[in-house]
Amino acid sequence: MTSRLPPQPGEWIDREQPLDFQFEGVSYQGYTGDVLSSALWANGVHVLGRSFKYHRPRGIYSLANHDANALVSVGSRTNLRADCLPLEAGLQASAVNTLGSASRDYLAIMDRFSRFLPVGFYYKAFHTPRRLFPFYEKQMRKVAGLGKIDPQYREGPTGKQYDFCDLLIVGAGPAGLSAAVDAGERGLRVILVDENPHPGGSFTWQWQRNAEAQERYKKLLDRLHALENIDLRPGTIAGGVYSDYWVALFDQHRLTKLRASAVLIASGCFEQPAVFQNNDAPGIMLGSAAQRLIHRYAVQPFTRGVILGANSDAYRLASDLAANGIDVTALCDLRPEGEPSTAHAQVEATGIPVYRGFTIYQAETRRRGKQLAGVIACPLDRKGEPQPQAGLTLPCDGVAVSVGWAPDGGLLYQAGARFQYKTEVEQFVPNSLPAGLFAAGRVNGIFSWPDQCRDGLRAAREAAVYLGQPGVTELDSVTHQGPSPSHPYPIFSHPGKHNFVDFDEDIHLADFKNAHQEGYDNIELVKRFTTVGMGPSQGKLSNMNAIRILARHNRATIQATGTTTSRPFQHPVPLGHLAGRRFHPLRRTPLDAWHRQAGGQMAHAGSWLRPEYYGPADQRDQSILSEANQVRQTVGLIDVSTLGKLQITGPDAAEFLERIYTGRFHKQPTERLRYGLACDETGTVLEDGVIARLADDHFYVTATSGGSGAFYRELLRWRQIFQLNVQISNLTGQLAAINLAGPESRNVLKDLTSIDVAGDAFPYLGVRRGTVAGVAATLMRVGFVGELGYEIHVPASSALHVWEVLADAGRPFGLKPFGVETQRLLRLEKGHLIVGHDTDALTHPAEADLNWAIAKNKPFFVGSRSLEILQQRPLTRQLVGFRLADADVTPFPKECHLIFDGDTIVGRVTSIARYSTLKHPLGMAFVQPRLASPGSQLHIRTAPGKSVVGEVCSLPFYDPENLRQQ
Amino acid sequence: MPHRLLKFGFSDHHPEPRMFREVSQLKPEYDAVIIGGGGHGLAAAYYLGKDHGISNVAVLEQGYLGGGGTGRNTAIVRSNYLTPEGARFYQASVELFQDLSRELDYNLFYSERGHFTLAHSPASLRTQRWRAEVNQHLGIDSQVVYPDFIQSQIPQIDLTCGGHQPPIHGALFHPPGAIARHDAVAWAYARGADRYGAEIHQQTAVTDIEVRDGAVIGVHTDRGYIKTRKVLSAVAGWTTHITKMVGLTTPLVIYPLQAMVTEPLKPWLNHIVVSASLHVYVSQSSRGELVAGASLDPYELISSRSTLDFAESMSGHLIDLFPCLPQVNVLRQWAGMCDMTPDFSPIMGLTPISGFYLDSGWGTWGFKATPISGKTMAFTLANNRDHDLIKAFNLSRFERCELVGEKGAASVGH
Amino acid sequence: MKILNCPLNGPRPIQEFHYGGEFHPPLDPAELNDADWGQEVHHRHGEPGVKREWWYHTASGTWFIAERDNLKDHVIQTYLYTPECGND
Repeated sequence: MTSRLPPQPGEWIDREQPLDFQFEGVSYQGYTGDVLSSALWANGVHVLGRSFKYHRPRGIYSLANHDANALVSVGSRTNLRADCLPLEAGLQASAVNTLGSASRDYLAIMDRFSRFLPVGFYYKAFHTPRRLFPFYEKQMRKVAGLGKIDPQYREGPTGKQYDFCDLLIVGAGPAGLSAAVDAGERGLRVILVDENPHPGGSFTWQWQRNAEAQERYKKLLDRLHALENIDLRPGTIAGGVYSDYWVALFDQHRLTKLRASAVLIASGCFEQPAVFQNNDAPGIMLGSAAQRLIHRYAVQPFTRGVILGANSDAYRLASDLAANGIDVTALCDLRPEGEPSTAHAQVEATGIPVYRGFTIYQAETRRRGKQLAGVIACPLDRKGEPQPQAGLTLPCDGVAVSVGWAPDGGLLYQAGARFQYKTEVEQFVPNSLPAGLFAAGRVNGIFSWPDQCRDGLRAAREAAVYLGQPGVTELDSVTHQGPSPSHPYPIFSHPGKHNFVDFDEDIHLADFKNAHQEGYDNIELVKRFTTVGMGPSQGKLSNMNAIRILARHNRATIQATGTTTSRPFQHPVPLGHLAGRRFHPLRRTPLDAWHRQAGGQMAHAGSWLRPEYYGPADQRDQSILSEANQVRQTVGLIDVSTLGKLQITGPDAAEFLERIYTGRFHKQPTERLRYGLACDETGTVLEDGVIARLADDHFYVTATSGGSGAFYRELLRWRQIFQLNVQISNLTGQLAAINLAGPESRNVLKDLTSIDVAGDAFPYLGVRRGTVAGVAATLMRVGFVGELGYEIHVPASSALHVWEVLADAGRPFGLKPFGVETQRLLRLEKGHLIVGHDTDALTHPAEADLNWAIAKNKPFFVGSRSLEILQQRPLTRQLVGFRLADADVTPFPKECHLIFDGDTIVGRVTSIARYSTLKHPLGMAFVQPRLASPGSQLHIRTAPGKSVVGEVCSLPFYDPENLRQQ
Repeated sequence: MPHRLLKFGFSDHHPEPRMFREVSQLKPEYDAVIIGGGGHGLAAAYYLGKDHGISNVAVLEQGYLGGGGTGRNTAIVRSNYLTPEGARFYQASVELFQDLSRELDYNLFYSERGHFTLAHSPASLRTQRWRAEVNQHLGIDSQVVYPDFIQSQIPQIDLTCGGHQPPIHGALFHPPGAIARHDAVAWAYARGADRYGAEIHQQTAVTDIEVRDGAVIGVHTDRGYIKTRKVLSAVAGWTTHITKMVGLTTPLVIYPLQAMVTEPLKPWLNHIVVSASLHVYVSQSSRGELVAGASLDPYELISSRSTLDFAESMSGHLIDLFPCLPQVNVLRQWAGMCDMTPDFSPIMGLTPISGFYLDSGWGTWGFKATPISGKTMAFTLANNRDHDLIKAFNLSRFERCELVGEKGAASVGH
Repeated sequence: MKILNCPLNGPRPIQEFHYGGEFHPPLDPAELNDADWGQEVHHRHGEPGVKREWWYHTASGTWFIAERDNLKDHVIQTYLYTPECGND
C-alpha cells in the first residue's frame, strides 16, 4: 500500500533515487530526500512509536522536527526523531521503548492501568515499607527511559568550527529570507540558518498553491544566491544564544561557535494541538504536518479526513487537501462565528461541510488504538463546553488540527527578550528586545506571508541601523490584521480522559486539574509536578496549552500565569558535537624523550609529565631505593625543569620580595640564595622556593611546580598594588633545570664548567653564573635532597645537551638519573616539607615548623597581620617526623592515615616511606602539639581495628648537622 | 500494584487535598519568619512545629516553592566529608533522609546508588583516603577502592579517560550515597510544615528587615509589614541581598553552578560518579536521564544564565569517562546560584544581630543538608543558641580566623 | 561567550581572562583590631549591584579593574589600577 502522491511542485524527494530501508525488521522503499517518518507514512505504516508512559501507538504529529513519540534506534544511535532522520539506503530503524515492537507492544497494558496512575502517582506510593522501595524503583527504572545505549559504541572526535558574521538570521521562511536578502544587498555579512534541509519555511508547505507566494519565494532565492556575502546554511540548528551573541550552531557533522554582531530571529511558530479524547491516535496530526507531507514529501496524509480548525489556516488547509484528492468530510471550526475571510467561501465551494462552533469531542480507533476509525464532533455551548449529546459521528482515517500557534521563542528568551501575551493573536509576542536582537515573522505575531516578508524587511533595516549602516530607510512595524490565528482555549474535557496535553510524557487534561487541586498552581510547579514540557520535545507542543489550562484554573490572565524559563538547547544535540575534539594541554620537559628512553616511569604531576623513577614498574621500591642510595653514595641527576622560574628585576626588586615573602632580602648579598616562604592574606602557606640574588636589582626565584603559574599571576597583581618599579618575568618554560646531587657532584662538574666549583669559591647557598658544557647557565648550591648539589638552570633548547654531557661525565662515578619519587624520599629523609603535600589549604607557618623563616620585626609582608593573630593562639597541630621500627608491618601505613589517641583523632600522616637509605621506615605527620616531642608514640590506624606505632623523631632524619650539603 | 494507588482508580474525584493551605492574608505578627521557601526554609518550618511546638510561623517565598537551589541541584545526598564537623553533620542528614519518605508520607525517591569520587592522581587518592579514614572513624560507610573494583561496578567507565586526562588511580567509594527527587523534598516539607501550622506564602518578597537596637523587630514585604522577633534567612544565592538589609557582611560570594540533562535512556548507570579533576558529577535519574553537573563558574554572578563553555567542557569530560556516550543527546542545560564560603563549610546559626539567624553558605552542597539544616536551625531559633552540630559553622569563625577546612580536601589534590 | 574589554588589548573573549575577586582598597593593618582584621580578610561585599573587581588578562599578564553589575553580568567600564582606586 503506498500513499505516495504524483510529483508535487517543489517536492524534496528525488524520485530518481529510490532507497530500500527497514523499520522493525520489515523492508520498505522510499526516496532520497525522505525522512523516516514520511517514507513510513508513504508505505502505509502509521504506528511509528509508542508513548513514554502508557505505550499508546503514535504516528506523525508535527513533522516539524519535534515528533518525540516517533523515536527510533539505528544501530548504536538511539532516541533519533524519525521526522528529521534523513532516509539512507539500507537504514535499519526500530522504535525505542517497546516490549515487542511498535505495532505490538506488550507494555500497552500500561494504558489499562492509567486510572490507577494519576499525576505524580509515584510520589504517593512505593515508599512504605522502606525495604520494598529498591524493588519498586528497579521496576520503574526499567519501564522508564527511552532508548538503550550501546556500551561498545565509540566514535572519533568531532571537529568544531568558529565563525563570525554581522547578522545571524535564524529561520529561512518568508521573513528570514526577506531579511537576509535586504541585509545582504547592503553588504552585511549574513549567516542564514534553517533547521530544515531546504530554505523556504512556510513557502514550502503552506503557500505552495499560491502562485504569487511561489513567485516571491523564487525571486528571494535568486537574489539570495546572487550574493556572496550571504551564507545560507540549511540543516543547521541554532541551539542556543549566549552572552554577547555567542551562538551554538549544530549541523549533522559539528558544532559551529558563531560570534554575531546582531541576531535576527525569524524562527516561526510551533503549530499547537487541540485537546480532545484520543487526540493522540495515529492519523491525527497538525494541519501543517499534513501539508508538509503533501508538499515536501508527496505523501497523502490520509484519504478521508476531518479538519478541526480555529483560524484561516484551517480553511486554506481544507482547500489544499481537497485539491490533492483527499476527501475532507468536515471542517469543524471552534469559533461560533466561523471564518470571516474569503477562504470560507472557497471551502464551501468545494462542498466541504463547515460546522461552526464545533469541536471534535473524541476520536474512535480500531485495532487497539492503532488506526483511526472516525471522530465524534459536537457543538460547543456559549462557554465553549462541548455538548456531546448533540454529537455527530464522522468516519475518517485522518484528522488535521489547525487551531493555533505558539512562538518558537526560545532563542529570543535566552538572548534577553521579554514577551507579552497579546489577545489580538492569542500568542506571546516579544515586546522588549535587547540591543542587537531582532524578531520577525510568525514568532513576532505576523501570519500572512506578505506581512511576514515586510516584517522581515523591517527587522533587517533595524538591524542595519544597529550595525551602523548608512542611509537606511526604516519601515513601520507590521501588525496582524483580522481574526486571531490562535484559539484561546482549544482544550476539551472528557470523562474518559486520554485527552492528552503532553504527548511526550502522556499527561492528560485531568492531570492538570488534579495537580492544581493539590496546590501545584504555579507554572513552574505544574511543570515539575506533572513533568509537562520536560520530555524530549521540551514542551514545544504542550507548554502553551499547559499555560492556558493553568490560567483558567487560577482564574488569571495568561500574561500573569507566565511561562517557564527557556533554556538551551533548541533541539536535543549530541554530547559528541558539544565535546568536539578535546584539547588537554600537557607539559613535557625538554628531557621528556630522554626519560622515556631511559625507562622513566612517567606520571602526571599537575599539568606536567615527570619520571617517578627509572626501571620496570614491578620493581618500583627497589628502583627508588637504588637511585636514592646512588645519590647518597656517589652522584645522581634529576630533571627539575618543572620548577617555577621567575626573574624579578628593577630598583624595587628587593623591596618587592620583602613584601611578598616572610623573610628579609634587602641585605641579601649578591651571589647568595635565601629560602623564601610566601603566605596569602589569611596567613596560609602559599608557596616556597629559593631566592637567588644575582645583582642588586636582579633576583632569580624558584617556585613549586604546581603553584608557580598562579603565584606568578599574584605577583603581578601585588606589583600593581604596591606600585613598585619591578619587572617580573616567568621563565618557567624558557629554562630547564637539572639538579646534580651527591658527594661526587663537584667532581663530575668541575671540568665541565667555567665556574670555580671549589668549596670556598662556590659555597653552599651560593649562586653563580657561567657556562656548563659550553652553555650559559645559572648554578645554585641547594640542599633539598641533603647532599652536595648543584641546580643547573640552562635554556630549554640546550637542556638535552647539558644533561647528556653531565650523564657522560658522571658515568665513571656511577651517576644515575633519579626520579621525582626518589627525590621525595631524599627530601623526606632530610625533613623538608612539600607545600601542598605536607601542608593543606589552611596550614600556617607555625604548624609546619616554619616560623624560623619569618623575619622578626618586619613591618609588613602579605599575610603578616593574619599571622600575628594566628601566632597568638595555641597551636592545634604540628608537623613532625616519625619513624617505624619495621618495614614489614602490615598493613603498612599510607599517607593520610589517621593517628589516634584512644578514640580521638590526634593527627594524620602526610608523607611516608617504607624503604629509606636509613634502613628504617620514616614519615612526617601532623599531630597535636602534646605529641610533638621526640619519643612520643603515634598510633597510626592502618585498617579497621589495626594500628601501627610510630615514634616521633627530631628532624632531619638524615645528617642532622647538615654537613653533607655544605 | 501498591494498594495506595487503588483509591485513585476507584474514586470519581481525585482524592487528594491541597498540599498546604492557601492563606490569602499575612498576619500582622509571627513568632518566626522564615525567608525562603526552598527545602531548607520549609524543613526549618516543619521542625519548628514538630520538635518545638512553634506553629505561628510564616515562610515567605518570593517565587515558587523549591524554585531556587532546591530545584536546580543534581540531587545527590552523601556524608563522606573531610572534617569531623562536616562529616558528623552530613551523616545526621543522611540518617534523616533515609527515613524521610516515611516520615513525611511522600515518596522522595531516595535511592541509594553508591557514590564514587574518582582520583586521577596519587595526590587526589591521598585526599580520598583522608576522607575515608575520617568517615570510617565516625561510622560512615566509606572506603578507598582501586581501579579493578571501579571497573567491576561501572563496566562502561574508561579508566584511562581515553588518554585525554590523567588515568583513574582509585576512588573514594561511599555506598550510602544517594539521589532523591529534589522538588519533592520541598513539597513534602511544605505539606508537613503546613500540618504543624506554618503558613506558606509564595510570591511574597521581603523588601527590608527592621532592626532596632541590634535586634530584629519586623519584616517588610511587598505585601505589607509583619512584626516578628525571629527571622531566619534560608535563601542561598540571595543571602547577600538579605544580609545587606540588616547591615551584616559575610564572606559569602555568589557563583553560578551549571548542570545539564540528557534524554531519558534505559537504566545503565547505577552509581553516582564524581570526578573533581574533570569537574563532573553524573548520575542517572529514575526517569532515565543522565543528570550531570560541573564545578562553579569562573566568576561571581547572581544569575542563572547558561554558558556554552560549560556544555562543551561537561560533554567532553562525560565522554572522557564514558566513551559510549557521544551520540546521546543533551536536552537542556540550566544553572543555580551558590553562596560560597572561603572554607567550603556553611555559615549557620546566630549572628551579631539578635533574632537574625543565618542558614547560608550552602555552595554546592546544600541539598544533601536539607533535613539536618532544617532541624538544627529550628532548634537554634527555638532556643536562641546554636545547635551542637552547627557550632563550628557560626559566622564568627571568620573574624577569629578559625575556618572549618572542607576546602583542605579540595586543595590537597593539586 | 562573553566579551571583556582589556584596557591594554581591547575586547577579548572572557576565556582569556582570570577573575581575581572583589577589589578592596589596600588596608592598613595597624589600624584594625584582630576581629576587624579577620573580617576584612574574609568578608566580602557579595550583594547584588555594581562591583569593582580584579580581572587578569592571561595572555598579556595584565591586571585591571572592571566595574561590573553582578546581577546582569554587564561590564560598565574597565581600567588599570592606580593608587587612586583606593580612594572610595
